[in-house]
Amino acid sequence: MISVNPDLISNEQDKLDLNNLSDEQKALDIKNLNLYYGEKQALQNISMAIPKGQVTAFIGPSGCGKSTLLRCINRMNDLVDICRIDGEINLHGENIYNKHVDVAMLRRKVGMVFQRPNPFPKTIYENVVYGLRIMGENNRRVLDEACERSLRSAALWNEVKDRLHDSALGLSGGQQQRLVIARAIAIQPEVLLLDEPTSALDPISTLTIEELINDLKKQFTVVIVTHNMQQAARVSDQTAFMYMGDLIEYSDTNTLFTTPSKKKTEDYITGRYG
Amino acid sequence: MNNWFKSGSPWVWMSAAGVTLSLISVLGLLWLIASRGLSYFWPSEIHQFELVDEFGKASTVIGEVYDRERIPVKQLNKVKLDLKPGQETIERLLVKTGNRELVSLDFRWLLVPQVVKHSQPEELVVIERRSNGNFYGYIEEVVLDGKVVSLEQLDTLLTRVNDFQEEIRELQKVDIGAINYQLERLRLKIRKHQLDGTYTADVEQDIASQTLALNAEYAELEKNLMALRDKVARDKLVLRAMGGEKVEINFETILNVTYSNKLSFIDKIGTFFKHLLGFLFDDPREANTEGGVFPAIFGTVLMVLLMTVIVAPLGVVAAIYLHEYAGKNALTKFIRIAVINLAGVPSIVYGVFGLGFFVYMVGGSLDQLFYPETLPSPTFGTPGVLWSALTLAILTLPVVIVSTEEGLARIPASMRHGSLALGATKAETLWRIIIPIASPAIMTGIILAIARAAGEVAPLMLVGVVKMAPTLPLDGNFPFLHLDRKFMHLGFHIYDVGFQSPNVEAARPLVYATALLLVTIIVSLNMTAVSIRNRLREKYRALEH
Repeated sequence: MISVNPDLISNEQDKLDLNNLSDEQKALDIKNLNLYYGEKQALQNISMAIPKGQVTAFIGPSGCGKSTLLRCINRMNDLVDICRIDGEINLHGENIYNKHVDVAMLRRKVGMVFQRPNPFPKTIYENVVYGLRIMGENNRRVLDEACERSLRSAALWNEVKDRLHDSALGLSGGQQQRLVIARAIAIQPEVLLLDEPTSALDPISTLTIEELINDLKKQFTVVIVTHNMQQAARVSDQTAFMYMGDLIEYSDTNTLFTTPSKKKTEDYITGRYG
Repeated sequence: MNNWFKSGSPWVWMSAAGVTLSLISVLGLLWLIASRGLSYFWPSEIHQFELVDEFGKASTVIGEVYDRERIPVKQLNKVKLDLKPGQETIERLLVKTGNRELVSLDFRWLLVPQVVKHSQPEELVVIERRSNGNFYGYIEEVVLDGKVVSLEQLDTLLTRVNDFQEEIRELQKVDIGAINYQLERLRLKIRKHQLDGTYTADVEQDIASQTLALNAEYAELEKNLMALRDKVARDKLVLRAMGGEKVEINFETILNVTYSNKLSFIDKIGTFFKHLLGFLFDDPREANTEGGVFPAIFGTVLMVLLMTVIVAPLGVVAAIYLHEYAGKNALTKFIRIAVINLAGVPSIVYGVFGLGFFVYMVGGSLDQLFYPETLPSPTFGTPGVLWSALTLAILTLPVVIVSTEEGLARIPASMRHGSLALGATKAETLWRIIIPIASPAIMTGIILAIARAAGEVAPLMLVGVVKMAPTLPLDGNFPFLHLDRKFMHLGFHIYDVGFQSPNVEAARPLVYATALLLVTIIVSLNMTAVSIRNRLREKYRALEH
């Protein structure tokens, strides 16, 4: 049996009705999203609303489309030539797939952290302020402040404050991943996408990052993809279970793991496949 | 035995043998040109040989031994020698005897069996001269302004003359050169006004007055020059040559007087470095067979730098377009193959292209458009350093493109994604992340291009290199960098000295010395490339997951 974060259970009375969120409660609204890689359809008619200020987890077996769905949210799939998308993802009531949407601006609002830590071969400081520099911010004081604030939020400040100007490649894997998170939150996105952020890390680093995710939801809406069901149960408020490009079940984490309504979900979380 | 084959040892041994062979040949090559090239600078002893030839006639030969070899007796059927029965070969020596005013040939062969006495008197001197080559002999008198003075004054007099010579050189090259340059510009200005139909009386008067001023200045300088020449020609040296003839040598032609046989080892080292510095920093003399190679070093380096400035942006931009922006279709594939094949085109073909396209077409049009006043003598429509640099830039473009593209391809996709996910555009990502990471690879490509270009000779012979350039492409006259000028080049210098020289024997060591210099330059460039590549690997090793 999977243990569920006791915080979540105590919050039972605040539980959201995921099918009837008000516009203020929605961070993202995905409507009838279909995605094709060439001829092959990878996502089938996905509709879901992701609530603000909460952690939403996508789980499912490998190849089920959970990472693909995540990459749709900040249009990273645009980089794949053969990828074609129809349907809508609404951010502030506007479809991010509209023609006139500036993808760079969208990605400033929707930050992303990848499976493997990918710090740039620059100093720790330059890594963190990279997004700000792109936005044209060159005021030293503003950058210093943002750097400290982001590193503190990412629970990395105490470890690196004395070597901000050393290469980021000298950090351990777990530190690098937190650095990448700091880099993503330095530009104050609204939504933070985490694509299996702990799969390349050891258990202790994983624990640190999970604690960090709990803190992050106070400031950001977090969407996390993981194949680790325990992790989803530990960190998320909502969980979506996907299978073969379909969204099978989407509900609050507690319900999904204790009383799943679909047979496929139950099979998956009890370990019958995946 | 079978197991031994299966273990793979034979292949290991074969590879080791291959490596050894390559190493030995490279080291052998370097050793050969280094030993031959460096011995050129080492002061050699002067020998005196007493000979009795086959007719019983005695003679004396003084000079440096250049070479020795054994030849079959049969080759000398006309010469009668006392030979041991059964002796089939005899030794002969190649002796540099210099003294061109007495004998027309600098070198002669001596048959060792004819030598009756061999000595190395300490009083023998070798005199290096500005013209007519070396002189070997004994100093009889030092004549100061018609009066004989003691031998001790030789060094002071020599220093005095060489200081004046330096002044003369300065005067001729810099001051008089500048005036001639300005006069030529005035002439062209008149021509231009005539062509434009604006040659009014005012202009004519203006130019005439300027010309007058310059001519006056020139006359002044010429007077100085004449005065200096007189001073330089004041003293004389009287010498006795190997045949006993008295020879007068004016100090104005003397560069150095060396008692080679008196030199201690330390003195020899000093002389060695003096020769080496002279080789590196002096102008060539006597149809390039004597003196230094400074203009060739300068020309090579300047041309290569120009080429780098041209090829680096072109190559990098082309590689970035091919790798980052161009669609992955048959056309880009074709272009990529074409670029790689370009590297295999024989370099002389690039020379022909450069001559036809750059020199005649582009240069010719430039002359028509911008320099009509100098026509029919061409300005850019003739081979020059700019066209050489451009031709070599095209020649080395594939190296830069291929190596930059490899650098770009080595960058993990996660770097791009990381930057794009932070709201950077593709151009910002390229500029801030991709190019910095690829920069060592770009540098490697550029340095490989430099190494290739520095050693290239064939195309340059068509588009700008000459045997002897009177002026460097860079001087004190506006616009300082004269891209239209022809230049000298180390690679061509080797060819010229080795194969086009009137004095082949004298030039031979110079060929090795110049080759050594060229190899040194290219090897050091390659070393830089290797160290940069190693640093790249070190710095970005963490990226190679």
